[in-house]
Amino acid sequence: MFVILVYDVNVKRVAKVLKTCRKYLNWVQNSVLEGEISKANYEKLRTELRRIIDKEEDSVIFYTFRTLKYSSREIMGVKKGGEEIFL
Amino acid sequence: MKKTIYIFNDGQLKRKDNTLYFETEAGKKYLPVEDVGEIMAFGEVTINKKFLEFASQKEIIVHYFSHYGYYMGTFYPREHLNSGFMILKQAEHYMDQAKRMAIAQQFVSGAARNIRQVLRYYNNRVGGLTETLNIIDRFIMTLDDINDINRLMAVEGNIRDHYYKVFDKITRNPDFPFEERTRRPPRNQLNTLISFGNSLMYTIALSEIYKTHLDPRIGFLHATNFRRFTLNLDLAEIFKPIIVDRVIFSVLGKKMITINDFESAGDGIIMKERAKKIFIQELDAKLKTTIKHKRIGRPVSYRRIIRLELYKLEKHLIGEETYEPFIAGW
Repeated sequence: MFVILVYDVNVKRVAKVLKTCRKYLNWVQNSVLEGEISKANYEKLRTELRRIIDKEEDSVIFYTFRTLKYSSREIMGVKKGGEEIFL
Repeated sequence: MKKTIYIFNDGQLKRKDNTLYFETEAGKKYLPVEDVGEIMAFGEVTINKKFLEFASQKEIIVHYFSHYGYYMGTFYPREHLNSGFMILKQAEHYMDQAKRMAIAQQFVSGAARNIRQVLRYYNNRVGGLTETLNIIDRFIMTLDDINDINRLMAVEGNIRDHYYKVFDKITRNPDFPFEERTRRPPRNQLNTLISFGNSLMYTIALSEIYKTHLDPRIGFLHATNFRRFTLNLDLAEIFKPIIVDRVIFSVLGKKMITINDFESAGDGIIMKERAKKIFIQELDAKLKTTIKHKRIGRPVSYRRIIRLELYKLEKHLIGEETYEPFIAGW
């Protein structure tokens, strides 16, 4: 499945959350990551994040898609990150 | 499905923050380690032991190619699927002449029948291939009676000769005449494309073998020797016509790669970076394409079909089910 993850967490935990997310997803822009992910890895990522964040203060949102067939993606302005298979 | 990363730029590949990190003069990029299955390095990539340890741990296989795009080698991480039983079975089937022939025949028959499938398609589109089709059919008929590996390889060579002879009719591109098959180095543009595609196919087959219990060092059609992996060569025979050759015909047909994308180097002809990227992009897309699998009944990607082929081989080796190669149905 495909996931778009956005987070808004206390600055103390930003680095930790970012590092964790980068193991599974591609960084797109500040506080936004996206990418193809397996169900198992999705669970792993959620578990890891749950341990890091403060439930009272932080917020992480996952948008999940079974397929990207009926979606499109448009960038306005600078392309800051995203998936690439050629480096 | 985990992604394949192709590195063309020069830079450093590192482990950083528990994930993969690639840094060049132009910029830096984090790669989600959990979503990377293999890395193909074409550029000058600097790595360190820490990175290799991490790749081993995450079961990421690294293939590297020379400056000219020739396959150089593979970082094959520690086997994670160990099975002494499977190795014994594989060796047993290699040592026993009759058992080895049975498997080798299937590989050749699979390759030939997939070649026939490709030719059939182009016979409908451009015509003029009926004669070659008949010749190949006759060769396929003789396969069952062969009981000697060298003769089998010879027949396979003959089939390929006849197949390559009609490449000009299929590509219909006067810029890319086939002339004759030349390797090490390829001496014309079409040969370069074929060689490049085949070496990619070998590495893909190797990556899939890594995910099974099979040992890539024991092949059946190709003789097992002291220096290289051979099972991936066997496996690739079946898929070369339906994956690599189809991609070649498609990029030439759509004129995505032109004669200007090649340059000579020493005795041979090599591809420029743009051509390599286009070819890889098309090949990568092909491997991700899904088709409805007859037996499984749901869509599976070409890449998955390669793996399924190995599972069938495992079943054959342990005596559960006789191996029959995958034949494209269109």
